[in-house]
Amino acid sequence: MTSIKRWMNPRVWAYVFGYLFAVMMIAPLLWMLISAFKEPGSTVTILGKLFGTPFSLESFAKVMKPDGTAMMWRWTLNSVIVGVVQTAITVLLSSWAAFAVSRIPFKGKTFIFALILAGMMVPVESIVVPLFQMVTDMGWSNSYNALIWPGMMLPLAFLILKQFIDQLPNELLEAAKMDGAGIFRIWARIIFPLSSSSMAAVSIFIFIQSWNNLLWPMLVAQDTAMMTLPVGIPTFQSIFATDLAVPMASNVLASIPALLVFLFFQKHIIKGISMTGIK
Amino acid sequence: MKQHRSHAYKNYLAALAFLAPFMVIYLWFWIYPIIKGFMTSLSKGSMGGEKTFAGLDNYSYMMSDDKFWSSLWNTLYFILISTPSIVVLGLVLALIVNMKLKGTTLLRTAFFMPYMLSVSVIGSIWVFILQSRTGFIAETLSSMGITMGVSFFGSWGMGWLSILIATLWWTAGFNMILFLAGLQEIPDDLYEAADIDGAGAWNKFRFITMPSLKGVTALVVILQTISSFKLFGQTWLITKGGPGTSTTPLVHYIYQIAFKQWDTGYAAAVSFVLFLIIALISLIQYKLLMSKS
Repeated sequence: MTSIKRWMNPRVWAYVFGYLFAVMMIAPLLWMLISAFKEPGSTVTILGKLFGTPFSLESFAKVMKPDGTAMMWRWTLNSVIVGVVQTAITVLLSSWAAFAVSRIPFKGKTFIFALILAGMMVPVESIVVPLFQMVTDMGWSNSYNALIWPGMMLPLAFLILKQFIDQLPNELLEAAKMDGAGIFRIWARIIFPLSSSSMAAVSIFIFIQSWNNLLWPMLVAQDTAMMTLPVGIPTFQSIFATDLAVPMASNVLASIPALLVFLFFQKHIIKGISMTGIK
Repeated sequence: MKQHRSHAYKNYLAALAFLAPFMVIYLWFWIYPIIKGFMTSLSKGSMGGEKTFAGLDNYSYMMSDDKFWSSLWNTLYFILISTPSIVVLGLVLALIVNMKLKGTTLLRTAFFMPYMLSVSVIGSIWVFILQSRTGFIAETLSSMGITMGVSFFGSWGMGWLSILIATLWWTAGFNMILFLAGLQEIPDDLYEAADIDGAGAWNKFRFITMPSLKGVTALVVILQTISSFKLFGQTWLITKGGPGTSTTPLVHYIYQIAFKQWDTGYAAAVSFVLFLIIALISLIQYKLLMSKS
């Protein structure tokens, strides 16, 4: 009787499936990591030989070798530059715009709000063709400008920040106005510090999107030196047909920054994703 | 009266100052491309070359273009297979994490970790695992004396299965977080009341958890539908859209028309249709959210 009761306990099942799923999610990552420590030229490691020696750092060395095929440092740097600049601009401009629409009474506000809201319905994928023409016409091919300005997630950041600013108590702003604070000071002294945790969550969400962006950077960065990681990695790996170790070493190197960000900012990341959902 | 007017004027200037930088970038890189894209879709000519006005020719060609219809059908097929599986997997993972087992942080980290990787790394990992003859699965099987009878990238069905596996593995954690947020909004006293009534675990799930998650589930379904319409990275990296065009979704097809065949006008027309579809879905989403609150 008790054994049947135990059998029916959902917690037991949760343990079984929880750890089973965890193993399934981690296994490909672990396989990537172990394969990267094999010698260059190693073919796909079968399960039986996965943990066998020899291990070496040669594959990493080969990826890092500055012979122009894999510019790992450069690609990582490009991804970081594009990600950080895009995130900073998006969040700052959105915070200003959200503050204006939320707290300053002016004519045409409804129109502006509707116009920005409409942007939520436009996927970047559906405007890459005209964007590519614009960028080419401006002579921006293979430049940071081309990588950074198009496709910033302005409407999403605006909406999330506006929702937060809407909820702030009016007394706070009135008190500041009484003290004769200018409108920029109100933003800098009240809105900015109070919404900093929302801004952090939005920032991380936008940074991840930017970090993962493949289609747009692939179109505008054809120079090896201007590629971001998602573009550079497949280009580099396409020359290795059977070699497993070197491509996996490049995967590991490409993943380290994102995984570090995750380990340090796990709470913010989860908050950022929840916020896109709750709205 | 005069003072009132100057106040409104001051507000106007302030609003303008705060809005201007945002609006410049937004109009330049979001709104203008839509208009430019629509104009381009009414023309014939290649990227950078001379363009001539062609009316609705591109659109009428689209209606008879088998490749367009097959890429649209491929996209719809991916929605059909990916949406139910991402809902079930995301919900199950969220329920597990929400039960506060021993090692919950570890479980949540493991479930979410793949989402942090770049789509290029995801693609590369799954190609090396799944590819025939030299893939991890094929080699492991053959070392045990089993020949793998099917090829993961060899047919329409298996190709989509590979894309589905990679996508589920990559994004399950993201959807888990959405469900988790929904679960944590359910007030505890609902469950406590059910405990007093002596309700079992299944009934609590059936009559409290499931109805409370309606909103989140609708959100996950819509987000997955939209992201299926934007599907590009996985097919481009894993199956290359093949065999033939069997795993080529809409965005992948647009990419081919625009940047392999350089038929800018037609690519813009297909893009505009994609824009209309996603705008429609977003409108439905907006209506749903509005009716809720």
